Amino acid sequence: MVEFDRSAFIQKFQEEATEYLQRLNEGVITLEGDPKNRELIDQMLRDAHTLKGSSRMVGLLDISDIAHRLEDIMVKIRDGEMQFDPSMSDSFFEALDAIVFLKDNAGKDVSEQIDVPSLLDRLAAVASGSPSEVSQVPPSAEPQPAPSAAAAPAPHESQARQTSEPEPAAAAPGPQQAPAQPAVEEKLQTRTQQTVRIRTEQVDRLLNLVSEVVISQIKAEQHARDLRVAQALANDLYQAWRRVNASLAFDVQHVGAASDDLGVIDEMVTELKNRMTHMLKEYSDEVSRASTVVADLQEHSMAIRMLPVSTVFNAFPRAVRDLARQFKKEVDLVIEGGDTELDKKVLEEINDPLIHIMRNAVDHGIEPVEKRRELGKPEKGTIRLAARQEGDHIVIEISDDGAGIDPAAVKAAAVRKGYITESEAKSMSDREATYLIFEAGFSTSPIITEISGRGVGMDVVREFIVDKLKGSLDVESRPGEGTTFRLTIPLTLAIIRALLVRVSGQVFAIPTASIEETLRIDPAEVIKAEGREVIRRQRRTIPLVHLRDVLGLPADEEAETRKLPVVTIGFSGHRMGFLVDAFVGEQQIVIKTLGSHLKHVDNVAGVTILGAGEVVPILNVPDLMANARRMTGKTAGTRVKPAEERGPRRVLICEDSFTTRELERSIFEAAGYVVETATDGAAGLTKLRGGLQVDAVVTDVQMPNMTGFELTRAIKSDDALKDIPVIIVTSLEREEEKAEGIDAGADAYITKSVFNQDTLLDTVERLIR
Amino acid sequence: MRAQQYDDADEQIQKILRERAASLAQAESEEQAVETRGLLLFLVGDETYAVDVEHVREIVNGFTVTRIPCVPSHVLGVINVRGEIVSVVDLAAVLGSASSRTLEQEESSGIIVRFDEVTAMLVVDEIGDIIDVPTASIEPPLSSLDRAHAEMVSGSVYQDGRLIAIVNLGRILQPVGESA
Repeated sequence: MVEFDRSAFIQKFQEEATEYLQRLNEGVITLEGDPKNRELIDQMLRDAHTLKGSSRMVGLLDISDIAHRLEDIMVKIRDGEMQFDPSMSDSFFEALDAIVFLKDNAGKDVSEQIDVPSLLDRLAAVASGSPSEVSQVPPSAEPQPAPSAAAAPAPHESQARQTSEPEPAAAAPGPQQAPAQPAVEEKLQTRTQQTVRIRTEQVDRLLNLVSEVVISQIKAEQHARDLRVAQALANDLYQAWRRVNASLAFDVQHVGAASDDLGVIDEMVTELKNRMTHMLKEYSDEVSRASTVVADLQEHSMAIRMLPVSTVFNAFPRAVRDLARQFKKEVDLVIEGGDTELDKKVLEEINDPLIHIMRNAVDHGIEPVEKRRELGKPEKGTIRLAARQEGDHIVIEISDDGAGIDPAAVKAAAVRKGYITESEAKSMSDREATYLIFEAGFSTSPIITEISGRGVGMDVVREFIVDKLKGSLDVESRPGEGTTFRLTIPLTLAIIRALLVRVSGQVFAIPTASIEETLRIDPAEVIKAEGREVIRRQRRTIPLVHLRDVLGLPADEEAETRKLPVVTIGFSGHRMGFLVDAFVGEQQIVIKTLGSHLKHVDNVAGVTILGAGEVVPILNVPDLMANARRMTGKTAGTRVKPAEERGPRRVLICEDSFTTRELERSIFEAAGYVVETATDGAAGLTKLRGGLQVDAVVTDVQMPNMTGFELTRAIKSDDALKDIPVIIVTSLEREEEKAEGIDAGADAYITKSVFNQDTLLDTVERLIR
Repeated sequence: MRAQQYDDADEQIQKILRERAASLAQAESEEQAVETRGLLLFLVGDETYAVDVEHVREIVNGFTVTRIPCVPSHVLGVINVRGEIVSVVDLAAVLGSASSRTLEQEESSGIIVRFDEVTAMLVVDEIGDIIDVPTASIEPPLSSLDRAHAEMVSGSVYQDGRLIAIVNLGRILQPVGESA
């Protein structure tokens, strides 16, 4: 674990450092011409400082020391204690080259090849402002880079030999100039880098054009097919003409004057056939040649944006360590398949969902050390983060060996929060119950803490994966053994498989990842129940909606087909059937955004351009499901504000501090609550027992007469009051106090240090829903 | 460029400038330093409007608009401009003109404009000339306009006996659904 950690971070550092080193190198050159460039000096100072810090983090202390010296020099230059002098450039370059060498050979013992201490001394001399000494140093230090280059990988090695050869020969005229020559050469050669940094915008523009080329190619193939048809026609014409011509030949008298014309026609028909045949051959060859090239072009240009998942994964060991510390748990993170490549855009989107899942695993999955010991599990929990490619998808699995998801607890929590009814809970399989965690705002945690449970639920993860990435999200859990989340993501955001359907005369694309099945049902199969239309599939009831109604499109005038085409979509444990006018087909589509003007459109995720150039909207599955469920009367939990259903919400605030009380009052009143207050726990309890009806109680802990914990306990042990959510807002942040809060039966625990309006309102709203 | 023309036809230019100066009631001597703005004129219904030339990217004649569901009514849909998706804004709807547009009509032209990172195509009835007007001659929108309409106009200019409203691209191209 420790070993792994280090190497993962070093890799990240190497990537990062390359950028800074490049900038510093360029900076030195610019400074030579413009030694007082304040902005540049500041930037170089920052870069040196960052290098110092990050190299220290990954344990590359030599680099850190060198960077530290560079930083010293830059500080003096910035503060005007000394001026950048072109004679310093050599020392700078030497230092930067040394860092490059040390970085590339991180983890190896290179003390034989590079003399860091003497380099540090020279840099110190520069910093102390003794230029005379400095200017003499480079020649004597010149052999320094040479042996270091010799130790570098193959290409460098040959280069080093080249540079070392002319050296003895040139040594004769003057030792001063000779070493300078190869050094320059070497520098020029190292400039031919293996990588080029390109703005993603430029890559995107390129990809955009490539997809246009692909579309043109598809059209060209279509034209080749059309041409083949025309050529066949010309051939038929020729054959028919031949027969006519042959029979006419016996009847010369009748043809008479027209015979000249017949001759011309004969020539023309023959010529037409030959030309068509020739053209078809040329064109087909051309198209098939181009199609190979275009396919390669597409593949390679897509590859430009591919990056290894390690670029994201590498930050997780640290994140998990921090989380583990926060929750007082022991966790090992094992990463597998870090070199699996993914589209950069996907990578950017995947970081947050992964963090949520990790957080969830550390908070809810992995048990506390004592508990694990009791259960006979290893004290240290393990979280495994693995990526692999499966066909045109990437599968990322996050598994923990923790407590697993308890279906009974999930069902109970879901019933309590009103997502499902008691009877629905009973008929629900364990597997279905597990998926309830993806409901908006769902949390099984007995208490809401600021880390998990607050707005960063699994619903967010689901939306990211399904909505933004057009992938799917599965969870598998064995109580007592652990939980595995499986994210299936398309390789690239640019291309997905989609089902094309026709609705109200227009074609729409639905990502196949969320489609369960496509059916053609007999109208007789549609059951009307409680004003809703449903169908039965595999002993389950699936509500039906017209896709056109969800999209707000007019009904198509055309006669309805005998069999109704239905697309069923499964999304976080819910299934819904969407009636469409026709299935058009299934194919790979290139996803494009709606442009800079239409930032977000309900139900529409983007568009694609089909072969013939027509634009087809791609539907957004989570939006469709939410809107469809609203239409079928079964509302999605989060979308309905309680205020609309049962009048203003009421909240009781127990707080002895006048300021805090009034602050909380104003927050709740601004959000439309009716606020009752009490100056201590006892007064609050009296009000409640006196029949005050509230939707939630927000209480401080330290209050005279009765503390918040005592109040909570009293509320939770009173049958008439125990269903009222209690939110503790306190400055007590220690775990023991939090534990006491949980113990007392509080539903949420918000520390004042993270207290803000949104936190408080979100928490309360989620609890009283 | 302009300097060259001066040399070539100095007298004629001076004459034009004098006329312009007269029409603007400004001193002739100031004329050469006058800052001008290029405006592209176009018709919506039978009214003339203008858009700053610097924001015009291209003019499109003949296009196929793809309807997008669940968008505000002034957005007709999107078009494919060489692989780039550009939204289509019905200026008649934005400006409250009586003639509401349907997708099927072929006569309309499109002006692709770019303002503040947002690109969209404005559908108009007819594209007119490009004129240069002195910046100083641009007046604030007519105060008699109703507020919704006034918001969509950033200024107006009197030209050849017509009052031309300059459309407010910042407002018209406000991204849709940004806060959502």
